[in-house]
Amino acid sequence: MIQVNNLKKVYSGLAVVNIPQLEIKKGESIGLVGNNGAGKTTLFRMMLDLIRPDGGEVLFKDENVAGNEDWKNYTASYLDEGFLIDYLTPEEYFYFIGSLHQQSRASVDEYLASQSDFFNGEILKRGKYIRELSKGNQTKVGIATCLLQSPELLILDEPFANIDPSTQIRLKNMLKDINKTKGVTTLISSHDLNHITDVCERILLMEKGKIIRDIATNSSTLAELENYFSVTKMII
Amino acid sequence: MCILCVELLITMITIFLQHELKSFWRSRNTGKNLAVKIIMGILILYLLLCALSVGFFMDVFLNKLFPKQDLIVSFSGIILVYFMFEFISRTQLQELPTLKVQPYLQLPIKRNSLVQYLALTSIISAFNLIPVLLFMPFIAKVTTVKAGGGVAWAYVVTILGLMIFNNYLALYIKRKASVNGWILVAITALLVFICLGDFVWHIYSIRDLSYHFFGRLFSQPVLALIPVLLAVAMYYINFLYLRDNLYLEELSKKASQKSSTEYPFLDSYGITGELVANEIKLIIRNKRPNSAIKVSCMFLLYGLLFYTKPALQHSDYPLILVGMLMSGIFIINYGQFMFSWQGAHFDGLLVSKMNFGEFLKAKYLLFTMVSTITFILTTPYAYFGWRILIVQFIMYLWNIGVSATIILYTANYNSKRIDLSKAAAFNWEGAGATQWLLAFPLFLTPVIIYLPCKLLGSPNTGLALIALVGLAFLLTRNFWVEKLKENFYKRKYTIAEGFRNK
Repeated sequence: MIQVNNLKKVYSGLAVVNIPQLEIKKGESIGLVGNNGAGKTTLFRMMLDLIRPDGGEVLFKDENVAGNEDWKNYTASYLDEGFLIDYLTPEEYFYFIGSLHQQSRASVDEYLASQSDFFNGEILKRGKYIRELSKGNQTKVGIATCLLQSPELLILDEPFANIDPSTQIRLKNMLKDINKTKGVTTLISSHDLNHITDVCERILLMEKGKIIRDIATNSSTLAELENYFSVTKMII
Repeated sequence: MCILCVELLITMITIFLQHELKSFWRSRNTGKNLAVKIIMGILILYLLLCALSVGFFMDVFLNKLFPKQDLIVSFSGIILVYFMFEFISRTQLQELPTLKVQPYLQLPIKRNSLVQYLALTSIISAFNLIPVLLFMPFIAKVTTVKAGGGVAWAYVVTILGLMIFNNYLALYIKRKASVNGWILVAITALLVFICLGDFVWHIYSIRDLSYHFFGRLFSQPVLALIPVLLAVAMYYINFLYLRDNLYLEELSKKASQKSSTEYPFLDSYGITGELVANEIKLIIRNKRPNSAIKVSCMFLLYGLLFYTKPALQHSDYPLILVGMLMSGIFIINYGQFMFSWQGAHFDGLLVSKMNFGEFLKAKYLLFTMVSTITFILTTPYAYFGWRILIVQFIMYLWNIGVSATIILYTANYNSKRIDLSKAAAFNWEGAGATQWLLAFPLFLTPVIIYLPCKLLGSPNTGLALIALVGLAFLLTRNFWVEKLKENFYKRKYTIAEGFRNK
C-alpha cells in the first residue's frame, strides 16, 4: 500500500525526516509515536504531498504521490483544523466532501445518522459554523469527514488529542472496526501510548526523523514504549 | 500625569515599535513588502515635495486664481476646502496602524498603553505632513507680515487642530467600516453629496464658511481652540472605541443561530458549482471579503462621476477605465487576495479528491458571474450614449477574459495567509494604497492596445482589438486553466507552506 524510499526532509541543516525504507501493507494498522519534533507530522505531510521532500519518494499503490492526484481517490486524512473549511456549517462541509466523492445528500445524511453516537449531539443542527466549534468538536468533524469518504487508506494526526474520554473510546472502536471489517489501512500518530497500542497492530517509533523501532504489538509493547519514553532513561 | 507614567508609556511604545519592525523584517513576504514600501516611499516623497513647492509659491498661485481678492481672504477660503478633500483621500488611502494585540493582552501591560500606542502611532502618516508643508510657508511669509504674530499662531493652531481632527475622524470611520462595510459606502455617498451641493448645485459654499471662520480669527484668536477641542474629542472617541474593542469580539457579541444554505442554480455545474457555492458562503460569512463586495457596489456609481462630464465624453480613455473598473472591480479587489482567502483550509483542499483545474474553473465561474451581474446593472448608463454601453461591454469581455487570468496568475505568487475570522477584530489591513499598485499592469494593458490605433487615427479598431483579445482569452479559457495549473504545481509547496505559517 505504502512504500517509502530514502525519504528526507531537511530544515535549516537538520534532518527532520530521514527514512531509508518503510513498507506498509494493505490492511495494516500502524501507530506512529515519538516526542515532539520527531518528524511525525512532517512525514504525514510528505505522504499527502503537502511538503516537497528534499530527497526520496513516497509511493501509494506503487505510484509516487508527488505531482499525482490518483491517491486522493482512496485516501482520507485529517491532520489539523487547517483541513476544515471553517466558515461552513458541519452539514455543509459534509455535503461538500460527499459531493467530491459523488455521494448524494441522502447518502451523506444516512451516514451522518449512523454517526450520532460519535457526534454526541454536539455537531449537527447546532446552528454553528465549524469555526465556532470547540477544538475537540472540530476534530470530530475532521475524523467523521474521513470516514464519510470510505477510504482505503486513513491518515490521522493525533486524533485522540482534544476529544473527551467517551469519544476517545468510541473512536478506538471505530478505528478497530474499519480496519478489521473493511480492511482499511490506518496510519495514526498519537502521544497516548495506551490508545495507540490498543488500536494498532504495528508501532513505529520515531526519534529525530528516523524510525528507530518497528514493533509488532504484543502484550509487552506498552511496557517497552513506556520504558523508552520514561524521563529517567533520557537522563542516562 | 506623573513623569513616571509618561516614561513607562514611551518604553512600551518603543518595545511595540521594535516588535512591529521585527514582524515586518521577519515576515514571509518581506521582499515583496519591501518593494511595495520603497515604491510607496518614492511616491510619498514626490507628493511631499509637490506640497512643499506649492506651499512656497502659495501666494503666487492664489494671486493668479483670485486676482481681485486679498491674499489672506483667498488663503482663508481654501483651507476648509483642502481639509474637505483631505478627509476624502484619508478615508480612501490612509492605512490603519496595526498591532496584533492578542499576545500582549494577558501580560502585565496596561490595556491603556496598548491603546495609546495604536492611537498615537496613527499620527505618523504622510497625511499629517502635507498640511504643514502646504500652509506653514504662506503663514510665515504673508500672514505674519500682514496680520501679526498672534493671528499667525491662531492659524497654525487651527490648521494643526483640523489636521489631527481629520486624522482621527478618518481612522474612526475606517475602523467602524472594517466591522460594517456599509458605513464607508454611506460616508462616501455623503461626502459626494456635500461636494455636489457646493460645486455643482451651489446651495452653500465651503469656501465662504472657511473664509468666515478664519476671518473671525483676526478679532478673536481664541476661536482657534475650537478645532483643538474637536481634535482632542475625536482622539478620545478613538481611544475609547479602541479600548472597548480590545476584547476579542466573540466575547462581546452574541453568536446568532447559523443555518445551512444551498444554491440550486449552481447544481448543474457539478464540483465547480459546489466550489463556487463555498466561495459565495466565504464572501457572505466573513467580514473581510464581505467588505470587498461592498466596495464593488460602490464602484457601480463610478460612471456618474465621469459620464456626466461632457468634456470627458470625447475621449475613449475614461470610458475604458470606467468600464474596466465597474465590471472588473470585484475581480481586482477580491481577486488580489486570491487563494489567501482559502489560506486557512488550503491543506484540506489540496488533499481532497479534487482536481486543481476544477478549483481554478470555479474561480473563473465566480468572476464571470459577478462581472455579468455588474455589467447588467451598469447597462442603464446607455442613457449617456450608446458608445458608453459598447465600451462597457468590451471591457466586460476584457475583464472576464484577461483580467481574471492575470489575477489568477498573480495568485500563484501570493502565499500570505488571511485570517478570515479575525479580520474585523484587530487586523485592520483595509484597502490601503499599497494594494492599488498591483492594479497598474491590469489597467495599463488595454490602454497599450488602444493607444497605437488611436494614434493611427482609428480608435474603433483599438476598441475592437481589446474586445478581440478579451474574447480570445475567454474562448481559450481551458488552455489558460491548464497553464495556470502547471504553474501552480511548481509553486504549490511554497504557497501551502506560506498559508500554514500563521
